[in-house]
Amino acid sequence: MVHVYEFMWRVLHVLLHIHRTFITLFRIRLRNWNGQLWSRALAALLVPIALSFPKQKKLVPAPGKRVGRRYRWGADGKSLEKLPDHIGLLIAEEEPRYTDIANLVVWCMAVGISYISVYDNHGVFRRNNSRLMEEILKQQQELLGLEGSKQHSVEFLSNGTDKQDHQVLSCQSVVKVLSPDDGKLRIVQAAQELCRAVEQMEKTAKDINVTVLDSLLRESKTTPDPDLVLKFGPVESTLGFLPWHIRLTEFISLPSHVDVSYEDLFSALQHYASCEQRLGK
Amino acid sequence: MSWIREGELNLIEKLSANILKAGPMPKHVAFIMDGNRRYARKRHVERQEGHTQGFDKLAETLRWCLNLSIHEVTVYAFSIENFKRSKDEVDGLMELAKQKFIRLLQEQENLEKHGVCIRVLGDLTLLPLDLQQHIARAVVATRTHNKCFLNVCFAYTSRHEIANAVREMAWGVEQGLIKSSDVSEALLGHCLYSSNSPNPDLLIRTSGEVRLSDFLLWQTSHSCLVFQSVLWPEYSFWNLCDAILQYQLNHRPLQKARDQHREEQALQQHEADRACVADLLQHHGNGKPLDAQRRQEALLNYTASREERVQDFLGALQHKRDSFLTDLTSQAALA
Repeated sequence: MVHVYEFMWRVLHVLLHIHRTFITLFRIRLRNWNGQLWSRALAALLVPIALSFPKQKKLVPAPGKRVGRRYRWGADGKSLEKLPDHIGLLIAEEEPRYTDIANLVVWCMAVGISYISVYDNHGVFRRNNSRLMEEILKQQQELLGLEGSKQHSVEFLSNGTDKQDHQVLSCQSVVKVLSPDDGKLRIVQAAQELCRAVEQMEKTAKDINVTVLDSLLRESKTTPDPDLVLKFGPVESTLGFLPWHIRLTEFISLPSHVDVSYEDLFSALQHYASCEQRLGK
Repeated sequence: MSWIREGELNLIEKLSANILKAGPMPKHVAFIMDGNRRYARKRHVERQEGHTQGFDKLAETLRWCLNLSIHEVTVYAFSIENFKRSKDEVDGLMELAKQKFIRLLQEQENLEKHGVCIRVLGDLTLLPLDLQQHIARAVVATRTHNKCFLNVCFAYTSRHEIANAVREMAWGVEQGLIKSSDVSEALLGHCLYSSNSPNPDLLIRTSGEVRLSDFLLWQTSHSCLVFQSVLWPEYSFWNLCDAILQYQLNHRPLQKARDQHREEQALQQHEADRACVADLLQHHGNGKPLDAQRRQEALLNYTASREERVQDFLGALQHKRDSFLTDLTSQAALA
C-alpha cells in the first residue's frame, strides 16, 4: 500500500512541475504579446498560489524617448497611494543577471524610492560589489540618459558608512548591497558588543532592551526598515534576509529577475500600495 | 479535549494525507492565525465570536496536524502590539485565554493520554496575574509530556524575544557563567523562548496579508513561507494540504540553503575560537611561538571548555525559567 501512495505522490509532483513549467512558458509568451488584461487574468487563474495582481492594468505604450519614459516612471510613482521608502530586492535564484538587477534598481530610483537594497543568500553581490555598481551606473545612463542621471543621483553605501545628512537637492537614492552576514551575524555582533560592555561594567543586563538593540542594528539614523521586499525566484523563504528589520515588511514574489520588465515591478508596487497595515490594532 | 478536536479524517482526506506523507513532511509548523475580526464582520457577528471561532479552528487544525504526523505546532495568539487594541477587545481576549487554560487544566487525563506538552512563549509578566498563574499551571503540568508539542505565543514579539535572549546572555556574563566571546549565533538561538523546539519548517499566514508581523523572525529565516488568502476561521484541511505541498516543492533548495548556513556558522565559530586562543596565548604565553601541534591542542582544549561553560550557563538559564513558573504555580495554590 505504501508503494501505491509513493507512486501517487510522484505523479502529483510531476504534474505540479509540468504545471509550473507551463506557467513559466506562458508567462514568457505573455510578455512577448505585450500583456493584455484577459491574458493576465488567464495566467492568474492558472497559477493556484501566486498572488493576483490588481485588475487595473495600463496598456504599455511603445517605448518612446528616454525623457518620456523617465517622466512616466516618475509620474507612476506619484500616482501610487503609497510608495515604499525602502525596497529590498531578494534574488533567490542561482545565476544572477547583473543587467536585470541594475534595471530594477534604476526603475526603483526613477519611480521615487529612496532606499534600495539588493540581497542574495550566497553573498555573491557583496563579493562582486563593484561589478554591480558599474552595471547600475551603466543602466542609469542607458535608461535615464545624461539629464536623468544628474537628476536621480545614486549613492552606494558600503558596510559601516553613514549616509551624510546633507541637503538633498534632487532625488537621491541610496543603494546598499546586502548578504546573510548583515542578518543574524550582525545581530550576534551587536549582542557581543553589549555583553562586552556588561563585562567591563559599563552596562548592566537590565539596560538591554529592544530600543538599545535596534539602535545598534540600525545602519544609520536615517535608513528606514524595508517596507517591501520583492522576492525573485521559486524559493518561498526569506533566506536569511535581515531578520531583525523585516518585522513589518510586505513580501511580494515574482517568478524571476531574468528579463524582468518595468511592468512587473510596477504591478508589484501597485499591489503594495493597496495593502493595509493595522500595526497590531 | 477542548484544545484538540476529537475525530478522524474521512476517506478522501485520509487518502490525500497518505499521498502527501510519501514525501518530505514538515515536523514543525507555525501558524499566524489572522482574519478573525474580518470573519466576524463578514458573518455579521461580534468580534469576540470571531475570536472564539478562531480558537475552535485551532483545535480542528491541531487534530489535522496530528493526523498528518506533524507533532509540533507554534501559533501566534497575541502580540505585544495587540495591547494597543481597545480595552474591551483586549479584556475579551484575556478572558478567552483564561477560560481556555482553565478548561485545559480540567482535561489533565486527556493531555496525559495524548502526551501533549504546552509551552507559552512571550513576556508573561505583561499579562494579568491570574492568567499568568493559569498559564504556569498548564505549562508545569504538561512539562514532561513528549508526544506532541503546542507552543502558544502570547504577549510575544520576535524583537522582544531576541532582545530578551541578548539580555539573558548578558546576565550570564554578569554571573560569570560565560564570557562575551562565547556569544554566538547558536548560543543566541538557545536563549530564545523557543529554545526547546527546532526551527519551524513551514510558516503559514492566513487572511491574505503577506508580512511576518514580528513573529519568529530569527527562527524562520530558512523556513518555507506560505501566505494563504483564506480567513483563519474558514481554514480547511485542503488549505493545510496546499501549504504542505508548497513545503514539499521548496524542500530541497531550502535544505541546501540551511546546510550551507550551518557550515558557515561552524566556520565562523571555529575562526572565533582560533582568535580567542591566539589572544590567550599572546597574553599568557612566555613569548615563544608554539608549534602547530601545541596550538591545535590549545584550540581543542579551549573549544571543550567553552562548550562546558555554555552548557552550565544554559542549565542555569533553564533553572531560572522553571523557577519563575513554579513560583507562579505555588502563588496560585496559596491564593
